[in-house]
Amino acid sequence: MSRWRLLSLALVVWVSAALAAPAGAQTSTATLSADIRTLAKLTLSAASVSFPDADPDVVGQIPSLGGPIAITAKSRATPASQVILTVVASDDLRSGIQTIAASAITWTVTGAGFQPGTLSKATPVTVAQWTGSGVRSGTQQLMFQNLWSYATGTYTASLTYTLSSP
Amino acid sequence: MIKAVWTGAVAAAAILLLSSPVSAQQTDTKTVSVNATVNARAKLTLGSAAITFADADPDVTPTLTATAFSVDVKARTTAAGTVSLTVSAPNFTSGSDSIPIGNLQWTATGTAFATPGTMSTSAISAGSWTGSGNQAGTHTYTLANSWAYNTGSYGTTITYTLTAP
Repeated sequence: MSRWRLLSLALVVWVSAALAAPAGAQTSTATLSADIRTLAKLTLSAASVSFPDADPDVVGQIPSLGGPIAITAKSRATPASQVILTVVASDDLRSGIQTIAASAITWTVTGAGFQPGTLSKATPVTVAQWTGSGVRSGTQQLMFQNLWSYATGTYTASLTYTLSSP
Repeated sequence: MIKAVWTGAVAAAAILLLSSPVSAQQTDTKTVSVNATVNARAKLTLGSAAITFADADPDVTPTLTATAFSVDVKARTTAAGTVSLTVSAPNFTSGSDSIPIGNLQWTATGTAFATPGTMSTSAISAGSWTGSGNQAGTHTYTLANSWAYNTGSYGTTITYTLTAP
């Protein structure tokens, strides 16, 4: 319970007691209500990831430098409702006019409720899903499909993670 | 009774005034920027490191033919970059005797592999492609079988060079 709530409760009890005391045997009631609404808070351990160059014959899937992204999802939700974490790419990976499909990025995961997947620029893809309120943690290791067919360049994209608590 | 009503009213007012608002936020978003580096790279794989021509009667077999071998080209370059494959070899030698390397020719299969070709002591094109990718082909070498050759076991080394700018 927050400091404001505790203070509120204490003042209400004090005011009630002070005003009601002279009434002797007379009793009164006060209804307390706590308004707890849905809330979502997402924390990622990295704001950027990089994939180094590698020989496609040696490293078919390049893991991102720095290892997996640590993800913490805090949510308040209605009972039995689904809390969902999704990710979507802003676009394909681009280097000037050259592109590599967003689907070249896949991921593996650890942690309850997390699931592996393939990135899309069209549709948010589920990274994790849970039922009800709670604090959940896991990791997501991004991988880059390494093909000979890519034109040389430095490719960039932006991933948007969204935690939804209905 | 009035006191009770006032007490309830004050309590309700206190709740309204002192209760902190609870956030109604339902979603939270974060962004991660992704960076992938793709450098120029070239890889050439030959299906054989040695080819052999067996001796034969020049009247019966005027051209000696070796077994075909694979030539696999893999390259990463710019979108408009030219990937080139060249070959060269010095003349055949056997002691002080020699056979001109121009007597060695090849035929090739595979998209954009140069065919036919005649070997030279200077680099000549065996194939050229635009952009990154894999190219699979074969080379089959033939050697003109001339009565003019001195006897001997002749050898040379063919150098393949793949370039991806």
